[in-house]
Amino acid sequence: MLTTIFTKTLRDRWLGWTIAVVSLTLLTLYGMAVYRQIDLSILTSMPEAYVALIGIREDIDAGGLAVQAINGLYGAITLAAMALALGASSIAGEERDGTMGILLGNPKGRTHVLVSKAGAMVLLAAVSVLILWGAMYAIAAMLGVEIGGLDVEALSLHMFVNVLFYGFLATAISAWTGNRGAAAGVTTAVLVLSFFAVGLLPLIEELKDLVRAFPWYYFDGSDPVYNGVHWGHLGVLLAAAAVFAIIAVIGVNRRDLKGQSVGVTLIDRLRGNPLTRKVIGQLAGSARVSSIWLKAASEYQGLLLVTAAVMFLMMGIMMGPFYKAIPEETLSAFEGLPEALIALAGGGDISTPEGWYQIETFGLMAPISVMVVTVAIGAGALAGEESRRTIGLLLANPVRRSRIVLEKSWTMALYAFAVGFATFAGVALGSLLADLGMDVGNIAATCLLQTLLGLAFGALALVLSAGTGRTRIAVFVTIGAALVLHLLNGFAALNESMADVVQWLPFYYYLGNDPLNNGLDWSHAVILAGLALVLIALSVLLFERRDLRQTG
Amino acid sequence: MASASGAEPVIEVEGLTKHYGSVVGAQDLSFTVQRGEVFGFLGPNGAGKTTTIRMLLDEIRPTAGRAAILGLDTHAKSVEIRRHLGYIPGDLALYPNLTGRDTLTYFANLRGGVDWAYVNELAERLDADLSKKVGNLSSGNRQKIGVIQAFMNRPDVLIMDEPSSGLDPLIQREFQNMVREVAADGRTVFLSSHTLSEVQRVAGRVGIIRQGRLVTVESVADLRSKAMRQVELELDSPAETAVFAAVPGARDVMVEHSHVRLSFDGDMGVLLQATSEHHNIVDITTNEADLEEIFLTYYHDEEVTD
Repeated sequence: MLTTIFTKTLRDRWLGWTIAVVSLTLLTLYGMAVYRQIDLSILTSMPEAYVALIGIREDIDAGGLAVQAINGLYGAITLAAMALALGASSIAGEERDGTMGILLGNPKGRTHVLVSKAGAMVLLAAVSVLILWGAMYAIAAMLGVEIGGLDVEALSLHMFVNVLFYGFLATAISAWTGNRGAAAGVTTAVLVLSFFAVGLLPLIEELKDLVRAFPWYYFDGSDPVYNGVHWGHLGVLLAAAAVFAIIAVIGVNRRDLKGQSVGVTLIDRLRGNPLTRKVIGQLAGSARVSSIWLKAASEYQGLLLVTAAVMFLMMGIMMGPFYKAIPEETLSAFEGLPEALIALAGGGDISTPEGWYQIETFGLMAPISVMVVTVAIGAGALAGEESRRTIGLLLANPVRRSRIVLEKSWTMALYAFAVGFATFAGVALGSLLADLGMDVGNIAATCLLQTLLGLAFGALALVLSAGTGRTRIAVFVTIGAALVLHLLNGFAALNESMADVVQWLPFYYYLGNDPLNNGLDWSHAVILAGLALVLIALSVLLFERRDLRQTG
Repeated sequence: MASASGAEPVIEVEGLTKHYGSVVGAQDLSFTVQRGEVFGFLGPNGAGKTTTIRMLLDEIRPTAGRAAILGLDTHAKSVEIRRHLGYIPGDLALYPNLTGRDTLTYFANLRGGVDWAYVNELAERLDADLSKKVGNLSSGNRQKIGVIQAFMNRPDVLIMDEPSSGLDPLIQREFQNMVREVAADGRTVFLSSHTLSEVQRVAGRVGIIRQGRLVTVESVADLRSKAMRQVELELDSPAETAVFAAVPGARDVMVEHSHVRLSFDGDMGVLLQATSEHHNIVDITTNEADLEEIFLTYYHDEEVTD
């Protein structure tokens, strides 16, 4: 597997893609099995506006639901994320690791390196889409679910081209700037923004046409699973991907390659300036290294800032006036919807502002936002120091291993609360600005549960990090667990026979009691907090006992 | 050297063993390092030096055996030990986005403070730049930060894993001075290396490790006295091999006309007398015994007995 740069990239990346594809296949299996049992006749009475909001058609069946949810949504996002991760590190990753020099010490040009890596990305994407396509038919046949009327091929092709778009966008930024973080960050922002824009903008008549500015529209705006391939839309995405590829080739050949070095930030410049040296030196220098938890806090402050800003501005404040802008008729159509349908749409009744915020903000983005921060800290806290080989020096000081675990847990908890607070402030302000009259106490309760849920998953990442010393395991297993538990929770709400299972799922203790309407159920908060504490205690035990790893 | 200053054990290692599955990292190591001593720990790459040091630091736990530093068990009393310890890990890694001064501040804070005047003095001696981000330093300059953080608290015990890697010769000499000063101060240094010439300049005793096993522990002086010398003689007339081969302690005699070369571990007077009976000596060169050769000899012997 090490004969070429192409095959080495495949070797480095196949495991992640395999995990993604296997997870998605299992989801398909589980989704179809659950959807098969639901009485979907209710959907025929569905209001027109619902189509725009959650993209479910009135004539949909179990197969359609599964294909749309798995391939059209989770699959498309997951594979796009895999491709953007590969694209972002294609050139910039080798530069950051300091391996670019030795790679180019061989008689291979920069273009060759880039093309090899991009080629591996295209192949991985193609194989993944093919496997998902095959799995969809195999599972449908196995469970006797009808999907013959659906154009799975068209959706798969759209999905593939969509994955290429994000992969090449990240590659272009990575190749042009050599900055892996920028490539991943910008591409993720484009992905998330356009995904939300395509979901939200059609709700408001005046803004409807703006969706054409967002790439996600060209993926599923034409509803390919029902209407077949839309070659015009695919052409837009393909042309964009081709432009990105050209930019990448020009970019990587044009600039100086970076060594294994650290960029100069604005703060560094301010520290160098005699006028600001003293203040900034305090803030950025001596303060951030005054203790283990503050040092950890300084490492993740960028991530916290971005996440908190997104939750405060986009998911919080903006959603209020946006809700106000949705025409009354659209909203009234949702009144009195059957329970099952509400559950299907994420447990929120859009005819009330609480239901709106539950669907848009708290259903998915709120727990994800806290988890992004807590899982990053939990996974990186211990295993990160090991893989960067700094743990040896840190532990040469008279500090117990348990103190390191606890101080970093403290950072994780503080940051979880910071994200929770940003969400609270944003939603409360959004409600105030749009005069929605939501109960501030209930918003606070929901954000507390959001914080504690995120903290529990961060603590799971910490346990894995403490037990194995491997960041990747901690991150992937935690994300996988969160995804599966979240879906189980969603499916369980649709299926009465699963009522007993639900109490074993952490997500139940988040929105299970509808805190936006009913306020805080303290027992739920205690259970989530207890789970986090038990996991942190377990991390201490595991980390105390283990041989530390020497290499990444 | 300072090893004479007392018989108070600072590092005691007894039967220390580390297995990784079926792979032996260290096998039944036993040795003692006295106060005020500079102890060299020698072995080629992969011999088990770093494994041993990581057990002393409680980064990894021994499969069998025990070790104590300052009379404290390295596992049970690890935190207490580290109050008195300075450490440079092998293959040093630091936080790339911190400057040298930030890095030292961080570790100083974890210890409850440091004498900054002394830090600045160390930085000056090593010509270290503390204002740059560590990630932008060359490996040698980064190593200087590691050296400073190990020395800056004036620790009672210094454990250093290949500390001078990447340092240029001038800085290496300064580093060696610093090591000697620590020992002269009655403090203890445990220094691993695969560069023998470096250790022999500072160490009183050396332990030689190979494939996880301790081959020998001896004073540098004893090792040297055992060592072969390379002797080269330039004579006024053509020589005969037999004359030199007959001298006790002579080996590998090579004669080229009037030029004689041999390995010799016998009495130098006997050799010179035997020579002058037949020839006048025009020139004589002896290469001082180098641990490098002793080292190879030990390895050679080990392989033979294996």
